[in-house]
This record gives sequence, C-alpha cells and structure tokens, in this order.
Amino acid sequence: MLFKKSVEGLIEAIKHRELSEEEVIEYFVKRSSKLNSKLKAFLSTCKIKKGKGFLSGIPFAIKDNMQLENMKTTCGSRILEDYGSTYTATAVQKILNMGATVLGKTNLDEFAMGSSTEYSAFFPTKNPWDVERVPGGSSGGSAAAVAAGLVPFALGSDTGGSVRQPASFCGIVGYKPTYGLVSRYGLSAFASSLDQIGPLTKTVRDAAIIGKTIMGIDPNDATTVDKKIDLIDKIESNVEGMRLAVPVEFMKDLNQNVKNTFKKFIEDVKRLGVEVEEVPIPSLKYAVAVYYVIAPAEASSNLSRYDGIRYGLRVEEDSVAGIYNQTRDKGFGSEVKRRIMLGTFTLSAAYYDAYFDKAQKVRTKIKSEMDEVLESYDAIVGPTTPVTAFKFGEISNPLDYYLQDIYTIPANLAGLPSVSVPMGLIDNLPIGVQITSKRFEDAKVLRIARSYEKIRGEFPMPIGGELK
Amino acid sequence: MKTVIGLEIHTQLSTETKAFCSCKNDVYAEVNTNICPVCTGQPGALPILNDQVVEYAIRAALSLECEIHEISSFDRKNYFYPDLPKGYQITQYFHPIATNGHVDLNNGKRIRIQRIHIEEDAGKMFHSSETITEARSSLVDLNRCGIPLIEIVTEPDMEKPEEAREFMEKLRDILRTIEVSTGNMEVGALRCDANVSIRDKERSSSRVEVKNINSFKFVQRALEYEIERITEVMKNGENVPQETRGWDSLTKSTVSMRSKEAENDYRYFPEPDLPILVISKERIDRIKKELPELPDEKAEKYEKTLGVTRDNAKILAKDKTLSKYFENAVASGLSAKDTSNWIVNEVLALFNSDSTEFNHERISIDNLKKIMDYTNSSKISRLVAKEVMAEVYKSGKDPDTIVRGKNLLQVSNENELISVVKEVIAENPDTVAKYKSGKTSVLGFFVGGVMKKTKGKADPKIVGKLIKQLLDDEN
Repeated sequence: MLFKKSVEGLIEAIKHRELSEEEVIEYFVKRSSKLNSKLKAFLSTCKIKKGKGFLSGIPFAIKDNMQLENMKTTCGSRILEDYGSTYTATAVQKILNMGATVLGKTNLDEFAMGSSTEYSAFFPTKNPWDVERVPGGSSGGSAAAVAAGLVPFALGSDTGGSVRQPASFCGIVGYKPTYGLVSRYGLSAFASSLDQIGPLTKTVRDAAIIGKTIMGIDPNDATTVDKKIDLIDKIESNVEGMRLAVPVEFMKDLNQNVKNTFKKFIEDVKRLGVEVEEVPIPSLKYAVAVYYVIAPAEASSNLSRYDGIRYGLRVEEDSVAGIYNQTRDKGFGSEVKRRIMLGTFTLSAAYYDAYFDKAQKVRTKIKSEMDEVLESYDAIVGPTTPVTAFKFGEISNPLDYYLQDIYTIPANLAGLPSVSVPMGLIDNLPIGVQITSKRFEDAKVLRIARSYEKIRGEFPMPIGGELK
Repeated sequence: MKTVIGLEIHTQLSTETKAFCSCKNDVYAEVNTNICPVCTGQPGALPILNDQVVEYAIRAALSLECEIHEISSFDRKNYFYPDLPKGYQITQYFHPIATNGHVDLNNGKRIRIQRIHIEEDAGKMFHSSETITEARSSLVDLNRCGIPLIEIVTEPDMEKPEEAREFMEKLRDILRTIEVSTGNMEVGALRCDANVSIRDKERSSSRVEVKNINSFKFVQRALEYEIERITEVMKNGENVPQETRGWDSLTKSTVSMRSKEAENDYRYFPEPDLPILVISKERIDRIKKELPELPDEKAEKYEKTLGVTRDNAKILAKDKTLSKYFENAVASGLSAKDTSNWIVNEVLALFNSDSTEFNHERISIDNLKKIMDYTNSSKISRLVAKEVMAEVYKSGKDPDTIVRGKNLLQVSNENELISVVKEVIAENPDTVAKYKSGKTSVLGFFVGGVMKKTKGKADPKIVGKLIKQLLDDEN
C-alpha cells in the first residue's frame, strides 16, 4: 500500500531501509502506467533524476506548463504540441536538486485557462473519485495523479485557484504560496501578476515540505522576494485563541450540502479553541469580474509570443499576417481565444480606462479590504469551491464556468497565501476548506490547516485507491 | 508659413549586456549567437533589469538637464512583428525615468526634451527583396533583440531642418562624451524619427512622421524634402493627411508607409514581470558628480579662459579625443589661440577631406608642435607647412625628416632671392608700369610670382621688401 504513503512516510521508509529508493520509484512507475490509461492524468511520462538529497527516491509529477529541459512542454495546447523545453523551471530544478524523480508532466486546461481540464487540447483527465466527473483544473492532471496515488506529490500552478480548486475536487491538499515566494521562471505565463506555483499533496505537512523546497529569491524572477519562511518549524503548534473570519459574501448563495460540511469544519476548529466569525468584505463581490478583466488582459500579451515564427506550430501562408492568423487559429482552442479576445479588448486604447484601469483600482480595494480583515483575524476561511466535482460537459456557459473560481480568486488578486484542505465528502465526492492569511503568513496558514487536519482525522483515498 | 519640428530619438546604450538578460550586447557577433530563453521569448522566461542600463539612462538624462524620477516603471507595448519574439516590447510608457530636459542650440535657442525612457531593441530582419511584403522569405537575427535603448522625445521646438540636424549632432556629441552610446547613426546606434507640421495664416497641416533617417545629413535633407512636399500640397489647396512616411536615401525622397488609420493600437499596460524602478537621490547625486565636462561647458571654458574664438571652441569641444588633443597641445606649451586655429583649419581639414574621424595618432602633438614652430619662426611658410602636415598625415614621417628631405626650409637670404625677384620684375613690364602709376596694390602679384618660382620656400616678408626696394629704386 505504498501509494497511501505521504512524502514524509516514504522518506521515513527509505531512511529505515524498509524500502530502497529504486523500489519506491519502480512501484510508482508501474502504478502510474497501469492507472493512467483510466485517468489520463499525464501528457507525457519520463524518469528524470538529477541530484541527490532528502527527496532521493521520491517520485513526483509536474504540470505541463513548467519547463523541463529536453522534455516537451505543451501547456495543453496544439500550438506547443511539439515544443521542446530549452531549460528547466526554477521550482522544478529545486526539487530535482533534492534528488526527486520526475515521472511525468500532467494534463491541464490549455495554458491553465479553465477549471476542469476539459479545455486541454488533447483529452480531459478523469476524477479518481468518479471517472465521469472532472478533476477540477487547471492543475487537474496533477491533482488526479496525487489523489489516485500515481505520485506522492505534484506541482501545479495557481492563477485564480488552479491548485486549490482541483485539490478540493480530488480530496487532497493544494497550497498556493504568497505571490513572490516561489519563482515563476520557467512557468509558461498565463497572468503574470497572479500566477504562482504550488504543491499538491496528500497531507498538509507534505505541502509545507515541498513548499519550503521550492521557495526562495530567484535571480531569474524579479518578482521573487528575499524572505526565509520556515513552514515546518511551528506547524504542529496549537492554534488556540486564533480568530478566523468567514466572509459573509461567501456564505450567501452557498448550497445546503456545502454549508453543512462547512458548519462541521467550524465546529471542529472551535474545539481547537479557535473563534470563528462572519465578517463582511464587500468588495469581494467584484473579485470574479476584476479577475476576468486582469487575467485575460495579461494573457493576451503573454500569449503573443506563440506566433509560429520561432518555435511551436506554424501554418505556412504567403504573408506574415497569414502565418500569424492561421497558426493562432489552428493552434489555440476556443477558451484561449475567448480570453485573448477579451484581454485585447479591455487593453485597447478606447477601453483601457473603463476596464483594465478600473479593474486595477478595484483590485487594490479588494487587497486593502482583505488586509484590513486580516489585521484583526488570523485567517479568512470558507469552502474552496461552491460545489463538488461536476460531470464532463455539465457546465457549458462560460459565465457559470468562471464562477467555479469565486472563492479562490481573491487570494490571487491580493497575492495572499492560501491552502485548500479536504473537509468532507458530499455524496462520496470530496470538498475542501480554504484558509487564507496575510502576505508571508504562509506558516500560519499551514499551521491552521495542519491543526484542522489532525482533528479531522485521516481523509480517505478514492475507493481505497482503486477505481470503480 | 511656420514649420514645427519635433524629434523622437532612439539611442542604443553601449552596456556590457542586454537590457533584460545576461546576453552580450554585441550586434556584430555571428547571427543568433548572443541569444537566450529570455531574449528569444521562450515560454516561461522572465526579464531582469540590467542595472547598468539604469546607470547610463540616468547619466544621459542628467546631461540633457532632465528631472530624474525617483519612481518609474515598465510597461508592455504590444504588437506582432517577426523581429519581436515576445509579441511586445518592454518600455516605459506611463512613468518614464526622466522628463523636462533641454539642449541649447548654438544660436541660443532652447530645444526642450519632453521625456526620456528606457526600452529594448527588436531583432533585425533580412528580406529576400526590398520590403517584407515583396519578399519571398525573410530571416531574423535576434542578436540585437533586447539591446537597451533610451528614447528621447523633444518638444516641437524646432523650426528649421538645420536646427534638427544641429540638435542631433549636439545630442551625439553629448552621448559620446558621457560614454553611454557610440552615437553612430549609420549603423543604427542612434536613430531619429522626425515629426513635422506646417501652418500658415488660415490652416495647418496634419502632423507627418518621417522614419528611417540614417545620417545627420539626411535629418536635414529629409525634413527639407518633407517641408517642400507639404507646402506644395497645401498650396494646391489639398489636405495633408496624418501619416507615417519613410525616408529613402537612394531617391532622396519620402514615401508613405502607413496612414493614421493603419496605426497599431499598442495596448500599453504595466509590465507585471518587473517591479517598479526606484532610484535614490544619493544615486542621482553620485552620478551627477561623476559626469564629465559636457561639450558646451568645455567650449565656454576654451572661449573665456583660453581666448579661443567661439567657433573654434565649439568645434574642439564637440569630440572628446579632439578636445583632449587640444588640451594636451596647450599643456605642452603651445599658444591656445594659435593651436586652435591650426587644429581647426589644418588638422581637421585633412581628416574631413578623407571623411574619416579624427585620430590623434595620425598627427601627434609633437609633430604638430614641430610644424607650428617651423612656421612661427619663419623657417617654413604657411603654404609649405600645409604640405608638411599632409605628408605627416599620409606617411607618419617626422616633420624634420620631411623638411630636410625635401629641402623645404624657407629662403630668407636676400642674395639668394634677389635674382628671382629680378626675374619676376623683368617678366611683367605691364604690371611694373601699373605700379609706377601709383597702383601699389600689385605688389602682392609680384610676391606671388616669386613664391611660385621658389615653390613656396621664399620668405614672403623678405620678398616683399626686396620687390619694393627694386621698383622704388628704378624711379
């Protein structure tokens, strides 16, 4: 039952010579190749090990929007279907340096734009809890792989909830660090001011261990900060006396099942001596709107480099304009095109003030309102997602689809650390609770999550790890 | 008719490495060798600001009397072109590093500088025919991509093409003096786009932008052409459309490139990959202190304290190697005024006739000193001095060797000269008659004749004295 083990558990087992590094790797290689045909979590597989360190013998997977030298990095897009990376992303390199072995690159919504992997140009990934349902997204491949025990941990990227939302749908831990703590160098940009790499793990402690490994200032990313945070140090300390805020806005239209599950969470943490109060954060109601102005605007610019000139797909035409048009028409999927169009529109000279500039101002407002609440509360909590995993094709209206991120987006807009921890099952489908705190209070977020995890008890794996 | 001209100038900064990555800043390297994930726009690559770019930009801004902003920031200018790997150029649109500067022209007119901002250069395209639209294929060299630029935007304060040219030349002289750019227009290290509009009593033309001006001479020529063209259109009562035109140095004319309607919407927005740029007061003060003396300050010093004429002072102060040459010559004991004349009239004439840049090694200060000494002590004539200098310039030989070898020492011995003087008088009886009828100004004619016969070796003062003596004696 190695697949049930956490990263820490595997490290211990190797250390005590219950297992060799090779045995562990081989076990997961086999399990991956067996289960992946059902789940379709991987876009490509490999077995790459570079360094030696405390993660030696630990396999992992990375979302296929992170560069890994000499491997394909498709971003789930036709336009990069055959693109070979020329270098390795800093966060990935840091894990490789510690001896871990990459077993594959995981599926995602094209360029991380989506919440279900249905927008992957290649195929959707299946939720191990119910293969007729989405795993969430955009880091759906990474979440499914960890939930089903194909790998003990994986890296994802979170722009509006892309680590936390699939973690919630798959019943695992998803942690988005404070913006600037983890280098984005080598992460194919979606929305640069929001993107952050984070780990998907089975336990909060694992999230802290991997988070700590990938953190740090990077000379290749000017937005990283020189800040040392020990995520493990005080993770077991108790949280008695802490105060948690539940935004009134999050509770309003919540369905009864989720409400009940969240109530149970509140009861649990109250037993830890934590106070929980409902608090209004009025500007939160604009978060989704602000996000869908800023993220597509940055994306429209970030995706301009995929033009068929230097690399990636190229559709030959007689003129340069023809190459651009045809390459981008054939290379991008509908959701990516929709966002490029949106972003191009909101950045255009005639609409910049009305949309982009205004959205920036509201973003600042959201940030300051959240900061203000976090002056008197230790964290903001709520369900990670408004619903549990939906069925493939169930949400076809883009606006309904975008509302999947309603609770996760604020942390990205404000650059705050945020973690999703499984809090229960509804009709045998998992759902997570999200804990968000002040910038650089990552240790506190994980400490609260860990305290809750202890009182919650062990969270099951989907059908004991096998699939129905 | 009133003409209004404003300039937008791009200067490549000669930093060690590119603006946002650690690739070498070297356009002459073999194609596509100074490239990396950042400057080729690979997925996931991020820009890191090269601090030397900031240093150079501050230096330039201070030299142009600008206000430096303690806080500025970067933005993206979005457009598609094959030489632009990221699909956007990193620039400073909303908050430039510096604003409100000026350069004063020699006639005292002040040309205001609106802003200076940092940005990055694009790659270089090679088309299989003249233009990208006609070309069957095109190649891109990305060595130039990401090379730091500063863009300098003037207010529309110029009225004449020659003012625009003078501004550009002064700017080049400043940029060279402070060592931030080669200022070489021919290779694109300094580029100029000119905006021009004309108005008469009743109406005014739209603003026309002229691009691709690749020399100082063409700054003037292109504007002259464009002003004439616009004036003509206006005279015919037609409208002058707002457009961008390109200077064609082969046909010496401008051709329409695109109309206002075809202009890109660049969708500027703040660059999320770069933090705001903070420049401390201390840093600005330090750079200010380290700035070398600028050409105009230097010229004033030459004029006021060394007694050099204003025109000579301006010329000598323009170029760093030249002013150093001049200052060294003066320091070696030569008279400043005399030396300035020699350098401007004789030394520079030699380089100009070859259209090469001044190089102090061609005529060393020692050699200049020797030639000046020969002349000032009347050992050779001014005419011969020119010849000797040309020889030094050409062969690098020592002036002593040349003077001796060619036997150029001036003849001031009256006995030697008297026979030649007599000869010239005998050959020109008509002129002698004129002289005798009171027209003494023909004296110079005889001196000239003697100089010619002696190949310039005769001392003209002595010759004049002898002729006068002989002619007067005949009376």
